[in-house]
Amino acid sequence: MNSTKKLIKVVEPFALYKWAKNFKRIQDRFYGNKFKLRRIQQVEDFITLNNIKKVYHIDEVRLDLDLPTNTFTNTVEEADLILVTAQGYSRFPCIGIIEQIYKWLEKCNKLYLCLNRHYLNIDNQKIDLALPDEFQKAITSWLQQSLKDCTVIDLSKNYLDYGENFTWSLPDRHFYIEKK
Amino acid sequence: MKKLIENFSDFPMLENDQHHYIRYRMGRLKHQLWLYNRKRNEATIDTHDKFVLDNLQKGKTCIFGSAGYYLEDFISDLVVIEQWPIVKKFYPKAQIINDRSEISKHNGRIFDNFVVVNNRGDIWCELSVVEKHIGSYVKAMKTGCLFFYSFRDTQIVGWNRLKHDHYNYFYDFALHIEKTYHLNLLWHDIKFAEKTKDGAGNYDIMENPDTTNGNIKFVFEYKSKTKNIK
Repeated sequence: MNSTKKLIKVVEPFALYKWAKNFKRIQDRFYGNKFKLRRIQQVEDFITLNNIKKVYHIDEVRLDLDLPTNTFTNTVEEADLILVTAQGYSRFPCIGIIEQIYKWLEKCNKLYLCLNRHYLNIDNQKIDLALPDEFQKAITSWLQQSLKDCTVIDLSKNYLDYGENFTWSLPDRHFYIEKK
Repeated sequence: MKKLIENFSDFPMLENDQHHYIRYRMGRLKHQLWLYNRKRNEATIDTHDKFVLDNLQKGKTCIFGSAGYYLEDFISDLVVIEQWPIVKKFYPKAQIINDRSEISKHNGRIFDNFVVVNNRGDIWCELSVVEKHIGSYVKAMKTGCLFFYSFRDTQIVGWNRLKHDHYNYFYDFALHIEKTYHLNLLWHDIKFAEKTKDGAGNYDIMENPDTTNGNIKFVFEYKSKTKNIK
């Protein structure tokens, strides 16, 4: 170590991210707020075109969804659809994600779930299912095999994500799930 | 109606210093420590910084793509290399390169220590591309150079997180690097989140350990294997 006049304080690594809730708004400003993320339009279109009037939104990053304010409910019991865009659930173990989906479906039979592919299986557990080699197909197959009594529709666009697809503004893998 | 966008390249980004600075900062987390420490008599560093500092050998040290100026007070012969020209505005001593091949072209094979800590520019690619990046760094290393390399598993592309054993995937990569570049693996630390339910039956939403430095950490020695890592 070089000699320095400064006192040194050594701390455990701590998260230096400070933008979580505003991440989308910061990325919007990269373009002078002149664009709209296609996936956000997809969420809005899904709600509007399916005539869903009441949405319970579990969010993290502020998405600024362009829907009437009275669309959003304060409690899940009032909702026709649960919309999950919070990324934290993607950091549950896979078994925990499945358990959480069932908890949501007990309260509301329609779920629009956004998962961040890069966090899945965060704790490196062996998944005892026959899954496709291609990761995006494997995610869908894992959900469909794990939720056999549910309809799982993959609404995602397939692409390799090289960190340029705004995944931390809005997670990339979108699924509509309802109990059969 | 606003244009719909899916990828950074779908629409031209703004081109001004503020924009470049924000994008640089978002990807170089240790810049925050530099901002914090430069006006204080006490410097805060984390345990991984201390680990690197404790294990550096005498001689010239390169820190690439990692806001390395935050360690300037502690490293006597430091060369900071970045790929963002905006860095020159607040740290004029930085070398700015476009392509990694310029590191050895500009400096020669002169470094005794080469450090890359969670460089956003190194990740968001397949491991085969990381391998090529490392090939550029090796060309600037003297025999015996220590190479500290760390990154995050969640920002590596082109693997199936539901099928591959994560530990083996990254450890095998280190072994492949050993063979490819005469970089002997001296030390490694590969950690993933451990998830158990709390008393209420819920899981935490924490990320893998050490999002700042990366949860995949290696130390290699170039063309020799003589050093003990503490």
